[in-house]
Amino acid sequence: MRDSLLLAGGLLTGITGFAWLALAMDVHWRQVRANVAAGLAAKRKLRFLGGLAIAASLGLCLAVDHPTMAALVWLMILAVSVLTVTFTLTWRPRWLSPLVVWIPNG
Amino acid sequence: MFASFRLSMTWMHTWLGLVLGYVLMICFFFGALSVFDREIDRWAIPETRFEPQTLPSFDTLLLPIFERMQPSKESLAQASARIGGKTPQHTSAAGFGAYTTHRDPVLSLFTEYHVTNNPNDPHDHVFGNTTIDPRTGRQLRDDQLKIGSQFFYPLHFSLHLEWLEIGYWLVGIAALVMLAALVSGVVIHRKIFRELFTFRPRKQAQRSALDLHNLTGVVGLPFHFFFALTGLIVFAGIYFPVAHTMLEPVHELHEQRELAAKGLAFEPAGVPAPLASVDAMVAEAKRRWAARGMSGEVGFLSVAHVGDANSYVSVYRAGTDRVTLTGQGIHFKGTTGEVMFEEPPPSTIEGITDFLTGLHLQHFRHWLLRWLYVMGGLAGCACIATGFIFFVEKRKRQHAKTGVSGARWVDAMATTAVTGMVIATVAMLVGNRLLPAELAGRGAWEERIFWFAWLAALLHATWRSAPVQQARISPAWREQCWMIAALCVAAPLLNWITTGDHLIKTLGEGYWPVAGMDLALLASAVIAVLAAGKLRLREMGVARPSATSTDAEAAHA
Repeated sequence: MRDSLLLAGGLLTGITGFAWLALAMDVHWRQVRANVAAGLAAKRKLRFLGGLAIAASLGLCLAVDHPTMAALVWLMILAVSVLTVTFTLTWRPRWLSPLVVWIPNG
Repeated sequence: MFASFRLSMTWMHTWLGLVLGYVLMICFFFGALSVFDREIDRWAIPETRFEPQTLPSFDTLLLPIFERMQPSKESLAQASARIGGKTPQHTSAAGFGAYTTHRDPVLSLFTEYHVTNNPNDPHDHVFGNTTIDPRTGRQLRDDQLKIGSQFFYPLHFSLHLEWLEIGYWLVGIAALVMLAALVSGVVIHRKIFRELFTFRPRKQAQRSALDLHNLTGVVGLPFHFFFALTGLIVFAGIYFPVAHTMLEPVHELHEQRELAAKGLAFEPAGVPAPLASVDAMVAEAKRRWAARGMSGEVGFLSVAHVGDANSYVSVYRAGTDRVTLTGQGIHFKGTTGEVMFEEPPPSTIEGITDFLTGLHLQHFRHWLLRWLYVMGGLAGCACIATGFIFFVEKRKRQHAKTGVSGARWVDAMATTAVTGMVIATVAMLVGNRLLPAELAGRGAWEERIFWFAWLAALLHATWRSAPVQQARISPAWREQCWMIAALCVAAPLLNWITTGDHLIKTLGEGYWPVAGMDLALLASAVIAVLAAGKLRLREMGVARPSATSTDAEAAHA
């Protein structure tokens, strides 16, 4: 049970991390917040948070398995995360807006 | 020849990808299914639907079975071919082996016999094999096919083309081309990071197919690279057969030296001697693993030089908590049961090899990673399939104008390789539930159904592909999607009717091998219906790609 929760956390942080990295790009930011550009500082913050979340995902994987296994799980989680973020941006971009709710408009 | 390095890479990527993409499609799809080969076996052989078992008592249960076993007909036929058609003479069993994993309710047993009348090879052998229910020792009928582990799994590395091992070579070349396609793909793709999260399904088919091709190719890059590479490493012995050609004497000497270093005998002594209790040896092996902090079950057990004074018993641990396969071997003297050699932790080189082969062969207990591997394999299929579609979409208008039929044939082959392959797979499962239980050679009939269904899909795709010649969509894609949907609904229904194991029951009991198969089949049916609907709209021209694009798309253009 503990392991399943940690791995679920690993997947969730992976998805969140890549969502933040994607939202640091103008194209995808506009899919979530129409017509309002993100400032340079906000973009930098998003990139930093994205990197941090992806690192956290690795940490969670390492907490469950032997490092050789955790490395494989993490790499595959990254692939699933990018696919999840991409398809969300394609069909339901607004679902990602809670992730940037703390960035003020304008 | 080409104006730039990128153009030459594009040329290579396109044409090698087209030619060997069909083989790679088989490798990736059936490789993905092989992740759950044992579960597919349970679905296909209902009498084996019970919980995985550990190794039963060797002394009371396995030994009498080993002693009754005989060489298989196939093995005797192969040996007969090696000695000029004579009937091979063989000894009584000289070696025993038992192999199981944490997902196997049934146990595979192997025996080995010396062939005494081959003058060219004094070490010639024939083999026997059987599968038993380890709870009772009952042998399973050997004409039943383990569809997962004996058909889909070998299909993904041998294509079931046994003649001259040509299937292995085709797959090996395809894997090499996969590595080249990945590298050239990275060179061609200018916007790896800028377009990482980009998929635009509402654009023209050519653009959306390329988006999906790039997306699945880039996110799957580490997976695709490592699986193509480790696949080649697993079969390095076939692709570089030096051990049994140029270096045969060295190879033989190395085997002898290696055994001698462990104190194990390469040849029998020729002095008959009884076998001590193997159960006691297994208990001792488990005690020693536990003492090293690696408690676990037996994955592989073998007895060499059976009935001889030089006999020895090797016990290997099942590698469920590590990426590497079975390991931590402990060797016992067969006549007394004393420990002769406990294998030390692997060297760095051995460790790396074990890790690379283990990550491909995946005997570990990690359900999330198994599903992630399936996803990786299917992403590979999506990458290859969209590659085909891009090839056709890019050329079909030009070909329609000039009257060239190339795009049409590529499209028909692509339909066969994508939807046709799924039809063949599910048709085999449906056939498995429809064929009479007592039919002799049942497994062979299931294989015939698979190949004929695939052939039918090829004929259908070829027959229906004429519209591609007019730069339209072949209706074969949509029609084959409907066929998949029908078969994917029929399979779980037939499973219910013939075995009584419906989803409510299997889910209620938490029996995931069968519940998982049924759910995966039903999910495939839903996807096939959705795809058929989308294809119909595209064929009618309703979902004509819009000329106006959203802000996001404009930014990419």
